[in-house]
Order: sequence, then C-alpha cells, then structure tokens
Amino acid sequence: MSAIGVRNSKILVIVPAFNEEKSISTVIRSLYESGHNVDLVVVDDGSYDATSKVAERSGVKVLKLPYNLGIGGAVQTGYLYAKENNYDIAIQLDGDGQHDPAYIGDLIAPLVKGRADMVIGSRYVKKTGYTSKLSRRIGMLFFSSLITLLTGNPIKDTTSGFRAVNRNILEYFADNYPSDYPEVDVLVRLHKKKFKVMEIPVEMKERQGGTSSITPIKSAYYMIKVSIVLLINSIRSGALS
Amino acid sequence: MIINIYLLSIIFSVIFLVIVVELVRKNKLSEKYSLLWILFGLAILLLSVSPVFIEKISTLINIKYAPSVLFVFGLLFLIVYSLQITIVLSKQSKRIIRLTQEITLIKGKIGEERVHNSGNNLVSREEQADNEVV
Repeated sequence: MSAIGVRNSKILVIVPAFNEEKSISTVIRSLYESGHNVDLVVVDDGSYDATSKVAERSGVKVLKLPYNLGIGGAVQTGYLYAKENNYDIAIQLDGDGQHDPAYIGDLIAPLVKGRADMVIGSRYVKKTGYTSKLSRRIGMLFFSSLITLLTGNPIKDTTSGFRAVNRNILEYFADNYPSDYPEVDVLVRLHKKKFKVMEIPVEMKERQGGTSSITPIKSAYYMIKVSIVLLINSIRSGALS
Repeated sequence: MIINIYLLSIIFSVIFLVIVVELVRKNKLSEKYSLLWILFGLAILLLSVSPVFIEKISTLINIKYAPSVLFVFGLLFLIVYSLQITIVLSKQSKRIIRLTQEITLIKGKIGEERVHNSGNNLVSREEQADNEVV
C-alpha cells in the first residue's frame, strides 16, 4: 500500500473530535489496524463528554481545547502542531468514524509523488457505497458547480473532511485557515495561491455515533453564507488571512 | 414645547459627555474608542444649543422637515460605528482563537514533558533530600 518515499516522510493524522466518545476509540483502533506508519493527534474541540479521556486511554496524543472553537479552529490547531513538529504530510480524518483509514495510502500517494499539494478523499468521483439524502446531494452539486466555476477545478466532494496536504499547504494552513466554513472555503484560497488540488475516490461509512452538525433547516442558510464567502474570497487580493 | 425638547436634549448630551469622560477616567473605556463618542456628544450638544444650526443644514441639503436631519446623521453615525465595532470584534476573535490554539499546544507539550521527566524528578527529589540531610 505504501508508495516509494513514504517511509522517509513524517506523517501526522489530525482527528478533530467534538463529543465523539462513542466513536473515537473505533477510529483510533481502525487507524492502527490500517498499518500505516503515521502519528496521530486527536484535537478535542471542547467536548462535554469523555472524548479526550477515551482517546488518552488509547495512548494517542490529545490536544484538548478549553472550549469549542468550531471545526476550522480545531483543525488549524492540528496544523499548527504539525508545523511545529516538522511533519511533511498532514491528514485530516473526522473523529466520527465516517472516514476509513485504509484509504490513507491512496490519499498520500499523489503528495509523495509530487503530483498534488492537497488530495481530497471523495465520495462522488466514482460510484462508491455512499448514499445520501436528496437535499444534501443538491447542496453538494451546488458547491461543486460553484467551485468549478471559481477555480476551474471540477471538484465533486467539496465538503469532504478527509484530506491530505503536503508541507507547503500545512504551513500555509497553520497561519491561514478559515474558522467558519473551512472545507469549501480553502479550495478557493488554495486556487488563488496556485496550489494543486486533486480528488481520489474513497468509500465513506455512516456515522458511528454522535449527530451531524448540519441539519436540513440550516443547510439553505449555510449554502447562502458559504456562497458569499466564496465569492468574496475569489476577488480577494494579496495576503489572505 | 420646542424649548423643552431642546433643553432636554442639552441635559442629555451633557450627562452623556460626563459619562463617557468618567468611563475613560475609570479605565472602563479605552481612549481610542472614546474619541468618537465624545465628538458625538459634542455634536448633539451643539445642535441642542442652537436650533438655527439644524435648520441651516436642512435647507442646505434640501430636507424640508428639519428634525429629519438628526435622524439621517444619527442613523449614519450608528451604522458606521457598528461597522467599526464588528471590525474590532473580528480582529479580537481571531486573536482569541490563536491564543487558545497556542495555549492548547503548550499544554500538550507540558503534559509530554511531565510524563518524560517523572522519573528524573523522583531522582532529583531524592538528591535534594540527601543534600538537606547533609
């Protein structure tokens, strides 16, 4: 599974977790069972439950935020950690068990070969086992079209939180990561910075526990807000922050 | 009636100015943000003292009902000031997030060192005890 050169790279898996005590140990176990030579850091985003205790018991590094920063702030904490500890590659993998660590090898292969700066694990590139509600599919299609329009890169699964980045982006993310709607937003930012982003197909599982942060009622509002942010970013010039 | 509302307005603006200055004096409002409020208070005071002033402005910019001048400028001021406040707020929330992240990283590092040094600490404590005995 491992490509040439992987052995020389220091790889960090960042697992953002907010109230995931039910699923976090499964995520950690499946990551170790996948047999990749990676380090793991769990970023506990101010959980009210025993997420960080469960994770610590599994013997992994836990960064416990004192209060809930939101997904952007939590993931960025992981990128800061990766930057300070000189990692070559950082991988984001959600703490709810949706993402299968078995795909980590596929995810980092294009980075190691220098074919991309960021690789997104996508549900939609090929037919995979993932099925979703119609409303969600419409939203995904909308963002995909908007991103294609703004960046010229036909990314299908713009909101996937399963991604791997190289050292250049990792350093960039440590200093510049949107706190509010990060997954879609960074695609435009990275395009402006001329980074290369690509997608690979992965299978995603149903959530292992906890509840999704996106409710159907909120999604329309979410779509409008993100669209505005994206449009503003696409006309932003100079230093992004 | 007219005199009453102008008198009321004078009293209000004087009290307002006193409160602003007092807040700055007690370090509850920073000088930086007090400037605009002081100017605002002075402007209201000026308008309250002389009704002629508002009427002159209203004829100058073609507003038939003179008191609307107050509404227009009052509203504009509030809009500009709330924009300014959200700018400050954005800057601060960004800084707070960064601080939170840095602290979390430092806490993580301290935790690691404690695990790492727990053995050494025991030794040094024993050495200290020995020294105290000597």
